[in-house]
Amino acid sequence: MTELDSSNVSSTAAKGQPSAATPVSKTAPPVTPKLSTWEWVRENLFSSPFNCGLTVVTTVILLTIFRGLLAFIFNPVRQWNGVATNLRLMMTRAYPEEQYVRVWVCVAVILILTGLSMAIWHAGSALPVSEVGRKLLTTGTILVLFALLAPFSTTATMLWLLVALVVLGFAELLRRSAGGLEGQTISTLTLLVITLSGLVASLWVIPYGHHSYIPKRDPRVLAEPGTVALSTKLPWTLMLVIAVVAYFTGRALRDRLPTNATRFTLIALWLLAPPALLYLVLRDPAFDMGHVATTDLPIFAAYALGGTALLSWLTRPSTGELGRIVSAVVLLAGFCSFLTPMRMIVRIDMLALAIFALAAPTFSGGPRAQKRYVAGWIGLLGVMSWLITAINTPSTVSVPGGFFIGGMSITLMVAVFTLVISFPLGIALALARTSSMPIFRLLATWFIEFVRGIPLITILIFFSIMVPLFLPRGMHLGEVAAVIIGYVLFSSAYLAENVRGGLQSITRGQQEAADAVGMTTAQKTLFIVLPQALRVSIPPLVGHCIGVFKETSLLAIIGVFDILYIGRIVIPGQTEFMGSTKENVLFVSLIYWIFAYQMSKASQRLEQRTGLGER
Amino acid sequence: MTDLTTQERVSQRVPLWRDVVVLKWVTQVFLLIVVFGAMWFLANQAGDNLRARNINTEFDFLERPVDIQLSEGIDTLPNTGGRALWAAMVNTLRLSIAGIFFATLLGVVVGLARLSDNWLVRRLGSIWVETLRNIPLLVQMIFYFSVLTTLPRVGLGTGPINGWLHISNKGISMPRIFIADGFYQWLVVVLLGLVAAGLVRRYRQKIQDESGKNTSPILWAIGTVAAFALLGLFIHPAFSWLGGVFGGIADLIDSLPNAVPQIGFAALAVGSAGVWIQRFLSDHRSARGHLSLTDDDWFRIAFAAIASLAAVFVVVSWSGMSAWTLNSSRDLFEVLSDKFNVDGAARPFDAMRPDIIQKGKFPNYGKSGLTMSLGFASVFFAVVFYTSAFIGENVRGGILAVPKGQAEAAKAVGLGRGQILRHVVLPQAFRVILPPTGNQYLNLTKNTSLAIAVGMSDIVQVGTTVFNQTGMTLPVVAIWMLFYLSCSLTISVIVNWFNVRMKLVER
Repeated sequence: MTELDSSNVSSTAAKGQPSAATPVSKTAPPVTPKLSTWEWVRENLFSSPFNCGLTVVTTVILLTIFRGLLAFIFNPVRQWNGVATNLRLMMTRAYPEEQYVRVWVCVAVILILTGLSMAIWHAGSALPVSEVGRKLLTTGTILVLFALLAPFSTTATMLWLLVALVVLGFAELLRRSAGGLEGQTISTLTLLVITLSGLVASLWVIPYGHHSYIPKRDPRVLAEPGTVALSTKLPWTLMLVIAVVAYFTGRALRDRLPTNATRFTLIALWLLAPPALLYLVLRDPAFDMGHVATTDLPIFAAYALGGTALLSWLTRPSTGELGRIVSAVVLLAGFCSFLTPMRMIVRIDMLALAIFALAAPTFSGGPRAQKRYVAGWIGLLGVMSWLITAINTPSTVSVPGGFFIGGMSITLMVAVFTLVISFPLGIALALARTSSMPIFRLLATWFIEFVRGIPLITILIFFSIMVPLFLPRGMHLGEVAAVIIGYVLFSSAYLAENVRGGLQSITRGQQEAADAVGMTTAQKTLFIVLPQALRVSIPPLVGHCIGVFKETSLLAIIGVFDILYIGRIVIPGQTEFMGSTKENVLFVSLIYWIFAYQMSKASQRLEQRTGLGER
Repeated sequence: MTDLTTQERVSQRVPLWRDVVVLKWVTQVFLLIVVFGAMWFLANQAGDNLRARNINTEFDFLERPVDIQLSEGIDTLPNTGGRALWAAMVNTLRLSIAGIFFATLLGVVVGLARLSDNWLVRRLGSIWVETLRNIPLLVQMIFYFSVLTTLPRVGLGTGPINGWLHISNKGISMPRIFIADGFYQWLVVVLLGLVAAGLVRRYRQKIQDESGKNTSPILWAIGTVAAFALLGLFIHPAFSWLGGVFGGIADLIDSLPNAVPQIGFAALAVGSAGVWIQRFLSDHRSARGHLSLTDDDWFRIAFAAIASLAAVFVVVSWSGMSAWTLNSSRDLFEVLSDKFNVDGAARPFDAMRPDIIQKGKFPNYGKSGLTMSLGFASVFFAVVFYTSAFIGENVRGGILAVPKGQAEAAKAVGLGRGQILRHVVLPQAFRVILPPTGNQYLNLTKNTSLAIAVGMSDIVQVGTTVFNQTGMTLPVVAIWMLFYLSCSLTISVIVNWFNVRMKLVER
């Protein structure tokens, strides 16, 4: 459905020149002759009588649309108060006020990781100051149009015109002083920080008003003039500072630490962050220490010790067939454990150990490789045990009805979890579909084609209604979890097709070379084929991510409190804001647009940087 | 071990647990067992749970009365569950077909706009694309719906052109042209016209090939069809005798015993498997008649044989299926004979203007016009706009993918601008545009299922209502999946057919 449209990004490949014909050279791009303003206008707008007509018609259309939009937004009938008052509801639903600091901790952790990653991966590029001036000129022009077309009072129009003129003057100053393309440059990151600082500073200066919805009071809607509440502007200021500090810390560390290890650690932290933030920080499980000490820790210790012994034996290169037989036995034991009653965590750990044992010969090597593999097992086991324990522990956060978060945070949560879980599944499906083993291929093909043939909403409805029917008695699964499972299955089918495209681009020679140096099939796939295939399929994969993010909006249909549901059902349900659906949905679409647009721009930059889009 | 020669190593038997073929098959069979085991476990569990809740999973709810009101469609107050789902399916198909048509038109315009020489037009195109494809479809749909609901209320004098076009909070209503009783007879004339057009085209093409003059065969063919269609409006009653023929065929089918289709199907299954295996073997035989098969090939042969045997088993053991085939083909011919047994003066087409009727307290649209409900309109606009952004990108990418040299070479040969576009650029661009656009058509069809959010009665919305009333979730979900899978299959077959036709013919 709204099908995960990978064309979102892949089409950008064609955006540059059709470079198929032109040879790719490392030299500087050809310098386009610079036209003066009038020459440019004549060339681009009035080159022929037909073009003149087209220009006039398009101008009229554009102005009409712009004016219509402004008239819609600034119509006195509009109830933008509904959005302003319920911003917190739209972001986190009814997360308790007194524990709200947890939300800010999550934002801070994400910003710290972002700042560090930007430093470590050398994000940002130099932009000529004249270019910045040109962009500001466009902004100023739009502001002038905005001031003239919006249905404002005369004073407001004058004020906006003044602002526009200041922007235009500043822009012209920048453009002139910088001296062409070869002149001064400025980092895009600096620009970003300046923009964000401006936004944060505006919270302290501009009287947006202090709005909030207080259910236990009468009247329930609070609307005071002045700047926004301290509980909004102070955290955001702090967040900006934290992000900047994190970036500079990353820069300081960048040259002192080994690059690959740092990057690997950061990726691991990024993967660990979503479950940790959600289940440890936001949900705040009230661990029962007695139970943890008597049950969970012993199970963990047993598997950690047993696994260490088994895996260090299996990763020894001298271990022969016996190792395989032992791992097959462990796998069988894992499956058989479902036949007898025991703790679920024991079964899951057993299956995970079996997978590690089966993969062990692939990673076998000297003591270093052995140690690394065992450490990987203990780390994964630790995270897994702790997560399962945390999920099964009651929370201290009491939220009425449904899942404990909602709004934008559940949208992001579902998108991130779906992507992270469906990624390995999708790769496995793609490998199965291109495998030489017929039954694997058949099963994968059927699954993929079946899932791709039906709309997402039917899968979501099916999973939200039917999953309880398929579970053994006494086992429960929350609605959100059930929906995520359905979404993961859906997403992995599309992801598999993207990865398959990458797999097909790997030439036969690569595999033959791997065969020649004596790699096993698993080693060949893991170390030769997949890294190259995944690199090729980055553009469609980013498109897939955008698609998954956009389609989380479908959760609103099955009654999950996501941002769309809150904007469409919950806010208009408050007596104060009846009939404000249009405004809320417009705001929701703005938020979705900002996220999706930024992601697609980022993927275009990534393509340009890695040269992936070029043929 | 180390001083074995290669020859000896090969000849030495590999132990069973290290034989790659054995290992591969053991893993696969193991996986198969795990998958089927899991499915069996889940099905068992579901069966237990369903029995515990006293829900049965029969399809007889299709014939039992339900209490559903559809927002629009061929039947707004259906008697049975089956009829409700059928009307909803028609709604989905209407929405998809109209959506595909208009999204293609708009998408081509958007794609061309983004390639225009005019800076403003280019800007407009990119604003369109970047805005629409980055906002989720559902959000757009709900926004359109909430805007449309604030349209003025319907009244007896609703405009903008009273009696011809009405736009109000009950929907958009316009004149309707619909097929009348004489349509099927007229269709026969058009079919004859198509045959004639094929002949005319071949003939004109022959003249063109021989003389080298442009004889525009396609135009002639289109003209022939148009002439027959026009002629058919007057002479169509001449074909009413076909009704008797179809009635005879229906009687003949009715008299056949049940064993006939059973034998036919079984023979078809075994025969096609046999032919396939034979052809497969002869394809894999080298020129000297030496046969080399991988275990993958063996699997295919075994699979074909097992599938045909399974088909025979199903056909023989499930006699209801052949009875159903007989009955439904008899019904088909009976329906056809009814369609032709009409009054000779019946017109093929009819038209009606929309009207507003006052029924009780509130005025509403009558049945005579073509009325698009608000739900339909918002889903329609949303899918058309959304898909047009993607199709526009495909069109643009496709045209950009044609190397510049092609157009320049055509110019050097002396072709005009239109000719270059028609004969050189577009045919090559079409090849690039078609596959992703076909994908977008699939997406559009599946996207219409979001109609449930704005209360338009498509198959998902009606299905949800049906299973809420009857508790038949699994059968309804099965019907959904079957319906959407067959839609997907149909579209991909059509797109693939075009694809194969457009493919570059290489050595």
